[in-house]
Amino acid sequence: MAKLPMKRVEIYGLKTRRKAILEALQRFGVLEPISEDLSEMGFEKTDTAKSAATFAKAEDTLKSAIEVLDKYSPEKVPLLSMLSGKKTLSVSEYYNTVDNAGRALDIARELNDLSKRNYELEADIAKCEGAIVSLESWSGLDIPMNFRGTKKTAALIGTFPEPKTEADILKGLGDALGADAANDPLYAADVTVLHSETGFSNVCVFCRREKQNEIEAALRNMGFAKPQYVTKRPPIEEKARLSEQIGADKKQIESNKKRIETQAKHRDLLKFMVDYYAMRIEKYETLGDINQRDKFFVIYGYAPEKYCARLEDELTRKYDAAVEIHDAGENENPPVLLRNNPFSEPVESVLETYSMPGKFEIDPTFIMSLFYYFLFGMMLSDAGYGLLMIVGCAFLVLRFPNMAPGTKKALKMFFWCGISTFIWGLLFGGFFGDAVQVISRTFFDHEVKIPALWFEPIKDPMRMLIFAFAVGIVHLFAGLGIKFYQMVKDGDIKGAIYDVVFWYLLVGGGIAYLLSMQMFVDMTGLGFKLPPIGGKIAAICAGIGALGIILFAGRSSKNPAKRVAKGLYELYGVTSYLSDILSYSRLLALGLATGVIAQVFNQMGSMFGGGVFGAICFTLVFVIGHALNMAINLLGAYVHTNRLQFVEFFGKFYEGGGKKFTPFTANTKYYKFKEEN
Amino acid sequence: MESLGIVFALTGAALAALMAGIGSAIGVGMAGEAAAGVVTEDPNKFGKVLILQLLPGTQGIYGLLIAFITLSQIGILGGSADISTAKGLLYLAACLPMAFVGLWSAIRQARAAVSGIQLVSKRPDQMGKSMIFAAMVETYAILALLISILSITGIGGLSI
Repeated sequence: MAKLPMKRVEIYGLKTRRKAILEALQRFGVLEPISEDLSEMGFEKTDTAKSAATFAKAEDTLKSAIEVLDKYSPEKVPLLSMLSGKKTLSVSEYYNTVDNAGRALDIARELNDLSKRNYELEADIAKCEGAIVSLESWSGLDIPMNFRGTKKTAALIGTFPEPKTEADILKGLGDALGADAANDPLYAADVTVLHSETGFSNVCVFCRREKQNEIEAALRNMGFAKPQYVTKRPPIEEKARLSEQIGADKKQIESNKKRIETQAKHRDLLKFMVDYYAMRIEKYETLGDINQRDKFFVIYGYAPEKYCARLEDELTRKYDAAVEIHDAGENENPPVLLRNNPFSEPVESVLETYSMPGKFEIDPTFIMSLFYYFLFGMMLSDAGYGLLMIVGCAFLVLRFPNMAPGTKKALKMFFWCGISTFIWGLLFGGFFGDAVQVISRTFFDHEVKIPALWFEPIKDPMRMLIFAFAVGIVHLFAGLGIKFYQMVKDGDIKGAIYDVVFWYLLVGGGIAYLLSMQMFVDMTGLGFKLPPIGGKIAAICAGIGALGIILFAGRSSKNPAKRVAKGLYELYGVTSYLSDILSYSRLLALGLATGVIAQVFNQMGSMFGGGVFGAICFTLVFVIGHALNMAINLLGAYVHTNRLQFVEFFGKFYEGGGKKFTPFTANTKYYKFKEEN
Repeated sequence: MESLGIVFALTGAALAALMAGIGSAIGVGMAGEAAAGVVTEDPNKFGKVLILQLLPGTQGIYGLLIAFITLSQIGILGGSADISTAKGLLYLAACLPMAFVGLWSAIRQARAAVSGIQLVSKRPDQMGKSMIFAAMVETYAILALLISILSITGIGGLSI
């Protein structure tokens, strides 16, 4: 239940052992290096950007090769396998694989090359297919399409953008060339329409070479143009050639595919090498930040105290390095690593989404986890859903022991939330809403009911509301309590009294005073009322609290008038307590939402009546409806539990601002490497 | 006139489901557009933006909740539907907080969610905070829900 104490570690090593020491540090993964500039003391840094870039390029090549494999020969992955986590390799397996890794880049390049060639071939096929389509309408032409004519005769092969007949074209020519030309045999033209349909027509015109220009100009005025696709062969032959080309391309693609598939056996090697380069890149980035001199180098960093001894031992014994361990200095801000018991640990990630505890703050995870599970369960409050969460999370955690730590934490958190949900479900009498009641009534004509161990909120919402407020007051006071503890720990006992005890008096006294008023007790339907004397004492407490806040909350100001004004402003903060407490009414609202919507689905299911058909329909509605309801309310419970923690609870004492401990380690994607002892 | 009670009460239930539902539909739609934009850039953020998209959806559920409680109280889902006009009007009034606040807060919450989605697209580590911004708006929907529930369950016991 705490932040792990951090030490400042200074490592001095010989340059000759630099590689070995860095690799060892990376495998230990317990040191977060500090970037420090010692150039004034004659130290230098090596520029590693170039090597790191080379590695990054190699990593990219390997990654895209894996993508190629995934495309052409996808791995058969069993369901939920993404939870199974990274495979473990021991150090000796690691070195064995590294030795055999020379070929990996060649394989990767070949795969990338094959895939690139396939893209090109596919583009070529598309091009050929397009050409075949455009040649379709030229089938009637039995001369090469680029035929320009003979010595005396010109051949004009082209298209019109509209359907034409031979008569149309001849008439058009006659009109364009004029009456003289009509009788002149030199202007004679032979027109063949090869194809004509809406939108275009293909035409071949023969004329005398000397009149070619005039006739072609006349034709162009009518819209004549060269065809889009021209070949040096007659269209039929060209079509056959293109089909052959497509066949050859397809064959080539197939053989490339086969080659890729046979290379798929190297997938694990490629994955390993991606990790290998990722590690080297990280190593070189760290290396680039190390201060070095002629013969030796220094690494400064932070490490959790409990690992320091082992780190020092390994480094001095195996790598001849000198290691010094100090406490972190006054103005240093060491990174934060949390360590909690297994019950509270999962909630660390929730704390992390807010902020890590700052330098002087304690780790609130343990107390927060108690409230977290409690509030979450109250919001979801259905024994059936709780049971599903317990079973589901437990199954996944046990089935995939290697899963990524983040996922595991989340599942464990929902496991504990599930237990809480189950218990609250029993207390409030919800098991998939009122499923037991509805099923027994619809199918067995005999209504059975699971009685609520405590009470049903839907029947008595006022009672639930008061309970929610009571939970809220406890939660808020716990937050204030942590503030008190922290201030006392820091030696500021006066401050603890001014900033915490006075608030306890004011808010606590105010609530107690309300409990002594007949009107309030009637309104809330509480079974008891404080005697008038209790009310008086409560009022006095609240008065002392208010006075204390007015006098001392502004104590940082010397000017008495300013101080009281500040105190009055602080006292106004009591309204925030009111809204904070009211905010806990969401416990009632969300709890009811789960139960009532579950009831709606149960009722919808039972509308089909009893019998086999009814049972089938009921099952269908039940499964879909409750899956939906559970998903939505899980989300709601998660979001609003977070909100109550972040806004109401943390608002009382927590600021955060710490930096998470991110050690120099192997951030791999596929494998993790185990240190051998 | 005597039989109008049930008409008013059902109008209230319908309004709660209707207006809160409209609000949520608009809200989830708005947030969905923003979320789709983020996913085009980075499909890995799907899970995160989906959660943010769903946040303005709760008002519709609260509306349904109020409608359902009202329906079961006034006997539409079985039982006697004999309600005086005064009581019917009371049910109608009781449903209004959820109807109006549901409609408005869902849309406003969606705007906070859209901003949150943009925040997550740039800084995925700030997911927790972006959720809180949207959840702040929902507080008022919850307060309205509370008043509607307390009123509806209270009306049954009145003798008018």
